[in-house]
Amino acid sequence: MKNKNKKPFDFWIFAAVILLLSLGTIMVFSSSYYFSVKEVGNSFSIIKPQLLYMLISIIVLAVTMNFDYHKWGKISPILLMGSIGLLILVLIPGVGQVRNGAQRWLGVGTKTFQPSELAKLSLIMFMSFSLSKRRDVLKSFTKGLLPYLILIVFICGLVVIEPHLSGTIIIAMTGFIILFCAGAKISHFVALAIPVVLAVVGAVLVAPYRFDRVKAWLDPFNIEYKMNESWQIVNSLLAIGSGGIFGRGLGKSMQKYLYIPEPYNDYIFSVLAEELGFLGSAVVLILFLVFIWRGIKVAMNAPDVFGSLMAIGITSLIGVQALFNVAVVTNSIPSTGISLPFFSAGGTSLIFLMFGVGILLNISRYSNYERF
Amino acid sequence: MASPNISLKKRLLFILGVFTFFTALLVFRIGWIQIANGQEYQQKAYEQQTNNRTISPKRGTIYDRNMKPLAVSGSVETVTINPQMVRELNKDVDLVASGLAEILEMQKDTIIKKINRKTQYELIKQKIDKDVGSQVREWKKKNNVVGIFVDEDTKRFYPNSNLAAHVIGFTNVDNDGIDGVEKMMEQYLKGVPGKILSEVDASGMELTMGEEKYIQPQDGNDVILTIDETIQYFAEKALEKAISDNNVINGGTAIVMDPRNGELLALTSKPDFDLNSPRAAPKGKDKAAWTGTSTEDVQYLQKTVWRNKAVVDTYEPGSTFKPVTAAAGLEEGAITPETQVTDATVKIAGHSINCWKPNAHLHETFREGVYNSCNPVFVRLAQQLGIDKFYSYVKAFGFYQKTGIDLPGEAGSIIHTKPTEIDMATASFGQRFQITPIQLIQAYGAIANGGDLITPHVVKEVVDESGNVIKKVEPKVVRSVISRQTSDTLKDILKGVVDVGTGKNARVPGYKIGGKTGTSETRESEQLMVQGKNKRYIVSFSAIAPTDNPVICVLVVLDYPDIYNPGGGVLVAPVVGKLIDEILTYKGIEKEYTDDDKKLLKQEVQVPDVKGKTVKEAINLLKQNKLEYKIEGSNRDLSAIVQEQTPKSTALLHENSIVILYTYKPTNEAEAMVPDVKNKTINEATQAFKKAGINIDINGTGTAVSQQVEAGKTVKKGAVVEVTFRNIFED
Repeated sequence: MKNKNKKPFDFWIFAAVILLLSLGTIMVFSSSYYFSVKEVGNSFSIIKPQLLYMLISIIVLAVTMNFDYHKWGKISPILLMGSIGLLILVLIPGVGQVRNGAQRWLGVGTKTFQPSELAKLSLIMFMSFSLSKRRDVLKSFTKGLLPYLILIVFICGLVVIEPHLSGTIIIAMTGFIILFCAGAKISHFVALAIPVVLAVVGAVLVAPYRFDRVKAWLDPFNIEYKMNESWQIVNSLLAIGSGGIFGRGLGKSMQKYLYIPEPYNDYIFSVLAEELGFLGSAVVLILFLVFIWRGIKVAMNAPDVFGSLMAIGITSLIGVQALFNVAVVTNSIPSTGISLPFFSAGGTSLIFLMFGVGILLNISRYSNYERF
Repeated sequence: MASPNISLKKRLLFILGVFTFFTALLVFRIGWIQIANGQEYQQKAYEQQTNNRTISPKRGTIYDRNMKPLAVSGSVETVTINPQMVRELNKDVDLVASGLAEILEMQKDTIIKKINRKTQYELIKQKIDKDVGSQVREWKKKNNVVGIFVDEDTKRFYPNSNLAAHVIGFTNVDNDGIDGVEKMMEQYLKGVPGKILSEVDASGMELTMGEEKYIQPQDGNDVILTIDETIQYFAEKALEKAISDNNVINGGTAIVMDPRNGELLALTSKPDFDLNSPRAAPKGKDKAAWTGTSTEDVQYLQKTVWRNKAVVDTYEPGSTFKPVTAAAGLEEGAITPETQVTDATVKIAGHSINCWKPNAHLHETFREGVYNSCNPVFVRLAQQLGIDKFYSYVKAFGFYQKTGIDLPGEAGSIIHTKPTEIDMATASFGQRFQITPIQLIQAYGAIANGGDLITPHVVKEVVDESGNVIKKVEPKVVRSVISRQTSDTLKDILKGVVDVGTGKNARVPGYKIGGKTGTSETRESEQLMVQGKNKRYIVSFSAIAPTDNPVICVLVVLDYPDIYNPGGGVLVAPVVGKLIDEILTYKGIEKEYTDDDKKLLKQEVQVPDVKGKTVKEAINLLKQNKLEYKIEGSNRDLSAIVQEQTPKSTALLHENSIVILYTYKPTNEAEAMVPDVKNKTINEATQAFKKAGINIDINGTGTAVSQQVEAGKTVKKGAVVEVTFRNIFED
């Protein structure tokens, strides 16, 4: 039941994303130039490729927002199979690139991409596509819910052994949100929560280093952890705290002078909070919330269940990642490496993000609601 | 395909709610970090983001009461490095290290080690001269060296080296006072350090666009002491001479105090040390094995040269304590100076207490009892007062508490808390309890000034750099102990002790001096005697001058003169007499001669000029001056002309000394051999010298204990040789 009368895309989503991306790119430059000078000897070594990625990602956005989203349904099984293939490929010793002890990248030299990024989107597409046709059997645990759970656990399993804990969490959360919205029984979720909690507690008890992590999280300034486990989080807190209400001013962060390792990466929000203060930080969070609100509005008004589920999937993917990142850098949860959408420097993730935003905007063109 | 139904929309709204809730939580969390904890994190961040080099403030000067500097701070410099910058911003680190090593005269390896440290800041060398600092600066400029800093610093200098060492004290390398006034007045002298703050990255590298902040140090205030440099010098010289003349083994102390306000004019303790190198090896220590900083070495320094005996050590005061007993008796009306007393043996609890000359002055007045220093007289007086009353005076005179002097480490007394009859009996003449010298002079101060016990102190004022008084030490009267009348009576008695009693060796014609001698054995005395050594006595003399209007109290204590039986007054009294003479003369106090004084003075005559006169004229002139003569030369005719005389005119001689008259032009004046007069009386010694044709300069009374020129040596005929006599007796 295609709506032939295509409407304009959702302005709020577009505006929020463009604002976030612009601010993000400025912050990448601000936070990276001293690092670049010190490590590479060229203050543009990080911002230059980032600008290129931004350009590419905007082109990708332009393409996907004009590409009829319904077609993704048919392609999705192939994409998912391909993603799984790549996820297995990246694990083969010698094929995937290893950085900081994690084997997450495929490619040559610096031209690399993370299969997990593709996996996130293709899982959203496939689940939305499949569930839109099988909503009625979802109430059954074995016939409805279980196959999807197995699929999620299987993909998460491939990602977690890279290891890529934050990627795993995002994939799982997004998957569960789609299942929840598609109409899975609440009682099933409650029943599922028990083994999940037990597994987490067990994981902490089994590996003592995780216990240390939790202790470092609860008392980051403890001299025992300060120079090691919690060095990043301590310096992140010092950066955010130094910002005060109005911030030190754009470009004036002190903590980016190598106190925060790789300040243009996972901890870029701390530099932003230091430079732009509470006001700047709040504006960024509100922009993300605007994006989420409009994404959900698109989902609610989508012409079909497939569009609706894909909209909530993409919105959740970005929303969960953003909130997780801010929670980590503010030491609200134990730290794990997770990047901030539209802010953290990096090619693959940005391109796939904009890929997803494009799909969301395309869905909005078929939705029936007041746009302004 | 069906459009999203109601249940899907509900769940989507629920998801929106969850996202909104968590977003709100995070906004709140960020606000908490940035607004509630912002200050704290900002401070912590600032501390790690800035490298701070300290600039020492200039420590305040310590002056004597006449503004003569005793401790001054000179400007020096300190060299520090930022290791990271030195490593990364210089082309040739090795060259930097060797250049620095050469200018600072250090080991290159030491510097390289510091350059390789992972710190933000390393100290290379402290307290270098300004010109060395300039050399480093020039070298830096010439060779484009980065990461080395030359900053201001100060160094303490003591212009008078050993003078008043224990009072002034010294500082450590960080300019913190660690002894004496330097320690006690730390808060005033120190000042507030300044800082140079520069922004650095996490590795300690200074940011090129970073700001450098300079916080000016605040210099310390100056301290003015009550000490008079000149009087201190007199006191130290006198104490040193007394120690060397009497083979004193454990050193001693000399204190001069103004009894009117408790100001200490001089306070010295020997052995002492050079304030400019307080940790140098003391005499008799192996310099090679000495560090001056090891625990062992520091303990040794604290036990010896650093020890301020006037304040830190306790001793038995002996007879110098008797005036306290006398004061109690006079104040209570138990006795008057003219009361008849007896020094017959006193028996208490099986102990007999005798006078030093047992039962020699059976009947005497109390005044004479003090002159003769008869122990039984004081025992009986104390008994008459009773334990409670007697000890209430001991307490009132301050012997149960520290004086509160503004010098570190003051010791408390060791004195009976629940005294018995025998305790009191021995205490009445100053035995079997221990006090500090500063406590005794405080008590003498009260006797001198009309009865007020005043806290002794060495700090007079604290002033800032423009001379404004920040703190002024006013005399602090602890309590009134005796009446003015008692004070006057007692001073009169003490003057008698010096005029005609055991203290007469302290007499200075023209000045009214009151004083008391003291001797006490130490606990180890008997043991030393068994070992065949001399007993260890502590001898002392405590004085007040002038007695009619006291301006100084003086106490000199000598610990262990290596003499068989030193007899308190004899040994120390002349030292104190001479010291008082010097101080009062320096203070411009006119000498007023009594008839007695004149008689004493008359014993000395001035040699007239007889050169060029006939022998007859010369003999007449000498006779008029009560001098004898001897003619040298073949021409003994009365009309012969005197070609030369010895001693020369204006020299001072005792009556009946000889002047040699030469009737020829002597190429080499005739010589005479000095006789041995040891242990002879004044009379015997004078005769022996006369026989040899040498003049004697009599110093003291009693028997000869030393002579200026050794027996057997030759001197010119008619020369004057000083011989020291002493009354050897116990008191």
